[in-house]
Amino acid sequence: MTLLTEPRAARKAEPARGGSTASRARRRRRPPLAPYLFVAPFLLIFLGFGLYPMAFALQLSFTNWRGAGVLEWVGFDNYIYLLTSEDFWGSLANSGVLWLLVIPGQVIVALAVAVALAKARLRNLFIAALVAPFVTPLVAMAQVWIVLFDRDFGAVNLGLRDLGLPPVGWLTDPALAKPTLALLVLWRTTGYAVILLLAGLQSIPGQVYEAARLDGAGAWTQFWRITLPLMMRTVSFYVVIGTLTVFQLFAEPYVVTDGGPFNSTRTAGLYLYDHITNSDLGLGSANSFLLVIMVFALSLAAVRILRSREDA
Amino acid sequence: MIKDHRLTRRSLLRGAGAAALASGFASVVGCAPSNSGSPQPLGTPSFTGPPAGEITIWNRSGDLYRVFDKAIASFTAKYPQVKVNHIAIDINATLPNTLITGADVPDGAFYDDALVPGIAPHLYDLSQLIEPYKNDIAPYKLGVATVEGRVVAIPWDLDPGLLFYREDILQAAGVDPAGITTYDALIEAAEKVKEVFPDSKPIHLEANEFLSQLWLDMFVSQQGAAMVDADGRLALDSPAYRNALNFLHEVNQRGLGTVAKYLEPTDVATLDNGTQVFVPWAQWFVFAPQQLLTETKGKWRATFLPAWRPGGARSGVMGGASFVIPAKARNPQLAWLLYEYLTFHPDGYRTVYGPNDVYPGGINTSVPSYLPALESDALFEPVAELGGQDLWEVATAAAREVPGGYRIPVWWGRAVDYLGVNLQRMFAGQLTPDEVIATSADQIQKNLIDRP
Repeated sequence: MTLLTEPRAARKAEPARGGSTASRARRRRRPPLAPYLFVAPFLLIFLGFGLYPMAFALQLSFTNWRGAGVLEWVGFDNYIYLLTSEDFWGSLANSGVLWLLVIPGQVIVALAVAVALAKARLRNLFIAALVAPFVTPLVAMAQVWIVLFDRDFGAVNLGLRDLGLPPVGWLTDPALAKPTLALLVLWRTTGYAVILLLAGLQSIPGQVYEAARLDGAGAWTQFWRITLPLMMRTVSFYVVIGTLTVFQLFAEPYVVTDGGPFNSTRTAGLYLYDHITNSDLGLGSANSFLLVIMVFALSLAAVRILRSREDA
Repeated sequence: MIKDHRLTRRSLLRGAGAAALASGFASVVGCAPSNSGSPQPLGTPSFTGPPAGEITIWNRSGDLYRVFDKAIASFTAKYPQVKVNHIAIDINATLPNTLITGADVPDGAFYDDALVPGIAPHLYDLSQLIEPYKNDIAPYKLGVATVEGRVVAIPWDLDPGLLFYREDILQAAGVDPAGITTYDALIEAAEKVKEVFPDSKPIHLEANEFLSQLWLDMFVSQQGAAMVDADGRLALDSPAYRNALNFLHEVNQRGLGTVAKYLEPTDVATLDNGTQVFVPWAQWFVFAPQQLLTETKGKWRATFLPAWRPGGARSGVMGGASFVIPAKARNPQLAWLLYEYLTFHPDGYRTVYGPNDVYPGGINTSVPSYLPALESDALFEPVAELGGQDLWEVATAAAREVPGGYRIPVWWGRAVDYLGVNLQRMFAGQLTPDEVIATSADQIQKNLIDRP
């Protein structure tokens, strides 16, 4: 601590104090290698498996390459194609609608559940129940969704029939397929949102609430004036995570609807997958970079909006 | 002034950043893959002694793997110095990436025909090796294994289209299946069934976008046509597609079809409750009565597909798989030796298709594409779930009917987003057959052919 705060000039001016002092000084001058050695494994792995593939993907995005042969340089053609492609914008629109169906409502519900759970007696039991969908194998759950929402023989429509209602094409009607898929995403991820928000909630010091109570603040005022503003960073974090999840959504539409009906559930992730599996790697890479830019912009916008609420 | 050369955190991070940028730049400017892009020919094996070595072969997991495992055991019994590492894997998901990265590339793999053109640049050109067998391979199959004039896959099975029907219902409706020789006759038969069983929607109409395109192409291959012509130009606007789409549209418009996804709950239920009576599908539909249907097990039969014109071919093809040998295989000649044995040697294909522990009656979901195998004694037994029908006889006769001339363009799978989707729009009443052709042709041309 002393060394760190000691003025450099004073250290330089200090006369030698014999052999032991000189060796201590030499030791001090040695490059502090240990931290770098600790960081090196990560750095090497990051360079080899993170940055290099990213740079290679950037290169690919300007080429027409199917995984073999010479890279054919096409300039910005892949980007121009995508930005003028109905399919690309259609997949983004599908993801955008899913985002609207999932994230805003989920955050509100998850926050409400987290607030309720914060004071619940059997909190751990509820948490375990909420986590269960998140740890259940997704493909198995997607199959259950198919059986539940089958138009003719699904459990949901059988229930509707018992109520005298006509069958609904949950997964076959383009207008309903997205909400049905969103329901699966909500069912699967809301528990995670609750736990994250609950952790944020528990980090708010109890004294703040105590002081508010002494000032006569009721439960609603406490929530509105203390809980919500202090939770904004956690909420922002979840919105970013949720946005990434929705825009990368792949397994759910792949298994449940395969992007149908009529491409109405072909998400940005699924559209990207189509390029990759068909060895259309140049276009796939360009698509990836566009997606990164757009998701980053969307996340940034969401965080800005929430931060402005926090500042207010 | 003495420059301080100590390694500080900042300088290290700067250096790392520079190195990263340099490596990125290097990848951008200099690390282009070295693969030449066109298949290299694989020559005839010339073993100085008994074939020896080790190969890794990928196969689909499940029962097929177990069957091939036994066939490989018979191969290694013949060639004891060859060790075969037989791996069960999700080939469709794994092989393309493995071929691109070049890491842990197998010496051979079982692969869907529809996907072979997409990986053709990564495969050996097997033309020279296939040449002695060329005239004995079903023309359809040789066509799909050939990419830009080179045979890049060893043709394995043929999946002929058949007309599966409910014998009990046809009897009750007074319909003779032998009389269903054209698609017009099939519509008439469906009308008769509907008169007797008003709740039925007798003809299956496929609702899965990928499978429906595969299914549509079965009708098209039956007419000796394909999505592209011999020069690789888009050929959707053709009589073959128009015939097939008009037929399907008419079935749907007249209320004679059940639109359902293959073997999903609606399909299974309507196959079992008498709603569906006719299923024009590949031979592998036999899996349904054998494994999934409960009420109608034993009541289904198979016959030839109807013809598109009197006297026309009575079958097309839907699906199928072949063996491929990657250009980066370590022991391609041993892989060829194995596949040659399985495909063209009676001991090989008999071990795969014939009765075994996994399939006591033999594999009956396809037939070999090697024509001499079709002429041999039945490889699998009559099917109890088809009322003891000799499916081998029907399927091999149908297989011989399949015309050649079918080609799979490299973008076939991606065309599903257009043709497969538009076919479903037609079933939903949103498009006419002509609109399906025009719209799909425009979309495919723009997004898959003319694209950079």
